[in-house]
Amino acid sequence: MNEKVLTQNFGLDHLFRIEVYLEQGGYRAAKKALTEWKPEQVLEEVKKASLRGRGGAGFSAGLKWGFVPKKTDKPKYLCVNADEGEPGTFKDRYILSHNPHLLIEGIVIASYAVGIHDAYVYIRGEYEVIALRLEQAIAEAYGQGYLGKNILGSGFDLDLYVHRGAGAYICGEETALLESLEGKRGNPRLKPPFPASVGLFQNPTVINNVETLANVPFIILNGAAWFLAKGLPNDGGTRIFGVSGAVNKPGIYELPVGTSLREIIFTHAGGLKPGRKLKAVIPGGMSSPILKAEEIDIKMDVDSVAAAGSMMGSAAIIVIDDRTPILEVLKKVAKFYAHESCGQCTPCRLGTNWILKIVKRMAEGKGEQGDADSLLRLAANIKGRTLCPMGDAAAMPVFSIAKKFKEELEASLKVKT
Amino acid sequence: MARKEPRTETMEINHRKVSFPEGVTVHRAAELNGVYIPSLCSHKDLSPFGGCRLCMVEIEGMRGYPLSCNTVAQEGMKVLTDTVMLRELRKEILKLILSEHPSSCLVCNERTECQDYQGTIRKAGVTTGCRFCPNDGQCELQDLVEKIGLTEMDYPIYYHGYEPEHDDPFYDRDYNICILCGRCVRMCQEVRGTSVLAFTYRGPRVKIGPAFGRSHTEAGCEFCGACVDVCPTGALADKVSKWDGKPDGCYVSTCPFCAIGCQIELYHKNGRFSKAAANIDPEVNDGQLCVKGRFCLPEVTHHFERAKKPMLQKGNYFREVSWAEALERVAAELKGIQPDEFAMLVSPDLTNESLFAAQKFVRDCLGSRNIDSTARLELGGGLGLWSKLFSLPISIKNIAQADVILAVGLDSRFNFSVVGTKVRKALDRGAKLVTIDPRDSNLARYTDDWLRPLPGREGLLLKFFADSLAGRITDLPWVAEETTVNVPLLERALEILSSSKDLAVIIGPQVFHYDNNEALGDSLMTLAERKNTNFIPLYFGANARGALEMGVFPEIGPGGMSSRGQGIGLEEIVNGSKRLKAIYLVGDIPFFERPDCDFLIVQDIYLPPFKVDAFLPASTFAEAGGTLVNMEGRVQEVVQVENPPEGAVMGFMRPDWRIFADLANSLKGNSMNYKTSQDVLREIRKTVPDFPARLGRKPRRMKAIDHPEIHKPTVGKTSEGDFLLVAEPAGYRHRGIDISSKVGGLGELALEEGFRMHPGDIDSLGLKNGDRIRLSFDNGKVSAGGAVRADVECPRGVIYYTRPVVFGGLKHRRELLPLYILKQNPIRVNVSRIGT
Repeated sequence: MNEKVLTQNFGLDHLFRIEVYLEQGGYRAAKKALTEWKPEQVLEEVKKASLRGRGGAGFSAGLKWGFVPKKTDKPKYLCVNADEGEPGTFKDRYILSHNPHLLIEGIVIASYAVGIHDAYVYIRGEYEVIALRLEQAIAEAYGQGYLGKNILGSGFDLDLYVHRGAGAYICGEETALLESLEGKRGNPRLKPPFPASVGLFQNPTVINNVETLANVPFIILNGAAWFLAKGLPNDGGTRIFGVSGAVNKPGIYELPVGTSLREIIFTHAGGLKPGRKLKAVIPGGMSSPILKAEEIDIKMDVDSVAAAGSMMGSAAIIVIDDRTPILEVLKKVAKFYAHESCGQCTPCRLGTNWILKIVKRMAEGKGEQGDADSLLRLAANIKGRTLCPMGDAAAMPVFSIAKKFKEELEASLKVKT
Repeated sequence: MARKEPRTETMEINHRKVSFPEGVTVHRAAELNGVYIPSLCSHKDLSPFGGCRLCMVEIEGMRGYPLSCNTVAQEGMKVLTDTVMLRELRKEILKLILSEHPSSCLVCNERTECQDYQGTIRKAGVTTGCRFCPNDGQCELQDLVEKIGLTEMDYPIYYHGYEPEHDDPFYDRDYNICILCGRCVRMCQEVRGTSVLAFTYRGPRVKIGPAFGRSHTEAGCEFCGACVDVCPTGALADKVSKWDGKPDGCYVSTCPFCAIGCQIELYHKNGRFSKAAANIDPEVNDGQLCVKGRFCLPEVTHHFERAKKPMLQKGNYFREVSWAEALERVAAELKGIQPDEFAMLVSPDLTNESLFAAQKFVRDCLGSRNIDSTARLELGGGLGLWSKLFSLPISIKNIAQADVILAVGLDSRFNFSVVGTKVRKALDRGAKLVTIDPRDSNLARYTDDWLRPLPGREGLLLKFFADSLAGRITDLPWVAEETTVNVPLLERALEILSSSKDLAVIIGPQVFHYDNNEALGDSLMTLAERKNTNFIPLYFGANARGALEMGVFPEIGPGGMSSRGQGIGLEEIVNGSKRLKAIYLVGDIPFFERPDCDFLIVQDIYLPPFKVDAFLPASTFAEAGGTLVNMEGRVQEVVQVENPPEGAVMGFMRPDWRIFADLANSLKGNSMNYKTSQDVLREIRKTVPDFPARLGRKPRRMKAIDHPEIHKPTVGKTSEGDFLLVAEPAGYRHRGIDISSKVGGLGELALEEGFRMHPGDIDSLGLKNGDRIRLSFDNGKVSAGGAVRADVECPRGVIYYTRPVVFGGLKHRRELLPLYILKQNPIRVNVSRIGT
């Protein structure tokens, strides 16, 4: 049952070299799609497979591709979001560093399906070595005819470029990513219009996460039915869960979509260290609302986690044990988002700043009665009122922590005073 | 949005049925129907920003609170703008905004007291202890707090503690009171195309300013002040008027500094002109100005050196006297001389009324033919050519509608900025731009085809295009060789120009200032015959077209050729071919040295740099009303802002036309019986046939005067040398002075000082920026020296300098005198270094 898909060959030496990748049957999917299938068939198959975005929002990839206008004089672009900046998230770097050709193959197929001839990988600035490896892989792919003009004799052209970010979390937001890619300051854009119609350089653009695209070759090779069988009917495939924090075996675990959170923590990640008790879990990267220890009996798929009041996000599970004061967690969260807000809209720029100020004074033992309520109010003020989802990302964890751990927060005030 | 569009769609706002034009945002639709939706970051000329989040509304069928500034209004939409929820939400957001804005004035207990003292902020500071902002009644945040009804704040003030920035000319920046609405950034980028201002840093540390820590000057700021005009708080404020407090009111007037004729708002306080801002006038400038109009007006009229009293040379002393004495003395001198022993020079910066009165005074009162204007020097190529140009339909507004723009020698950074904004608008709509300019310019970066001929050969290129478009035979290889422009570039330009349906040809002032204007004149005449061509010939001298219509030249009288035949003019005075007994300079000082004559009368707003026998103080644009004719032929009003009583405190200045009337009265009795400028205007209408009966500000086509004079190349000796020296016209003239000598900020920018060379050339000569060099030509017989400045916009092998027409205030440029009298432009020169 527990078969790996994306990470199946990660143990191989030099998988990032095209020779090794080809030995493992690499680029077979691209060949199949480009030479045997029509673009519409590829699109249809991915739609059927219920491949949902692995970046955070969990939107259906097939639908997203379908939004791009078919008949247009404008060039279309694919942007791969490899700006993996969410604290706790480290899955894409594994794909990029271990198996960059898998991503390239996914890019080729996706571009073919949508009719794109220029694709960009926007890679996190800190991933310097990985970016070099990716560039090397791209050079190899060009050399062997998997990129460039007339790929595999299909008449399909695709150019692929790597663009390194400069260290801003906000550039992981898709429209800020576009701005940054255009050479501007990474501020998010107002929506509508959406990137599918007005994106990079004002042209129709698809933006997908690395892991999302890495799934595409397997869908083509094995079919949508196989992919759905791996996961759930409306959320297919496997996911790479990045487990970090107070577990015995932190790391990435590729498991079927819908695996229970408790199973991931206690079976796969080896559970907590002896003598420690689970206190809380952040299930989908730092921006997702926190879950208390008693709330972890949930299936890990986009809809189930949402039903539990949190967010699947990037499937980055942060485990917090009873030795960690919740105020410390809150401080990390507050500090990060105040630092990373782009500053364009009022609620996020000032809201995150005030949250940080309040949390700081609480941590310094200068907290006041009602601070937890202030945090709740500030967070509620940010959520749903900002220009881009980053405001929500900042507000949700603060709100959930302040709400679920209000007693502990208030107790910590009393101890200090 | 300026044009009125039919309101075809309907929607419901707050349960009321309203109509709106298709394609507008919900915010605009509400505004059109008198529904107020608070907002701090939206602006009619700018793209939506979504920063302040105050304009959120509820729309039936849409999730959450959509932004009204970014939601397109649709037929049948149901919008609520003022629900309890929205009110709460806005209050919360406003509290956040105020938490980083020193807001004592908004919720302070002593607020009412402060308002009483709004006029005198310094006193208010003493009384209430509050000195945070200019408090000039122009704070949108202040209004908004009142409208939303915020009375208490939950957050302590988070004061950034930024040092207020005073280091760049013209405007101060205090980013402690900035609310980061981004209007200035978008204005700078979207409308002006300059992108000097940007957001720097991020999150709570976000601050506005030029990127990478440069100063505004370094970042290429044009100092157009558009950012100051859109700032909703006092974060950006004019240096000159920052602490003037709340203005008493404003008049819409016409900028007197160039022939664009921008509409400006002149604010006044206690009867005194305090600052100028752009007027949202869709006809000409549409809310945009250049540095001159935006920032330089107050200093020109209020400078401490302003000459305010009549003065007479009495023995060895130059003394202040009464008007009666001054008029009597001048009249007596004029009475004693023959009409041919007298000449008057008038400035093209005077109003029509003053120009008309001047020529009437000379011709009718003194019976002389000798009146001339320095407009002659600004209108290079001859008055005949210009009267023909003025007979074409010129439209600044329509540049924005062009599909192809041919810009020759146009740089709109500091001069003719408004033309630049129209060009940008056209380019945004998909127009193509062909540039002919050896120099780099602020528009060259947008150009589709940039032709860089040798300086002085622009006319040849233009002639080539004009002839080609007219279907005449042209010699492309010859033109390419003569102008040193590649054949493919020429072909591409020709292709673009031929494809145009609506061509705009903009010709910068530089092009008219070369000695050889033959090809230029020819090409303009050829292009003029082409249909759908919008000509924009640019020149300095705000009312030069008015001077032509009023007839202040020996050969041209009011409304056409003068019937009196040839008189003595500027040229004779300059080359001294006829010695005059009396010279009367009105407004213009086109000499460094006193012109040779027995009695010199100067009537101006500043004292000239040489000895005069009588000085008559004139009123400035702020003190006297009148009309100006802009380059399109619009007759526009200059509104009198200040009306000080004559006296020792405010001075004894009089409008120029009134001084002439007073003199005429002293000479002959009531021959010029003018009480107000309206009286003069009435007579102009009677005398000048085409002058409009009403001030409708409509563009007019002038009747071309059949006047053959076109400047032929002066057959000067062709000089040898390594460098080509090019004289540029000075852009900062106003009446007798160069305004950079009076306006501190312009002086700081030093745009026209010294020699400008490409940094590469400076390096290759082993020089450094600021070194002094000597230029010699004519085999070393003539030479001039000055400081050299690196300017990346200069082409290699060319040195630029500025040749002013008026010299008031430019004493420090006297060392370039040998160059000013050069006939040739451009000319070959040799360069050497002064000193070791």
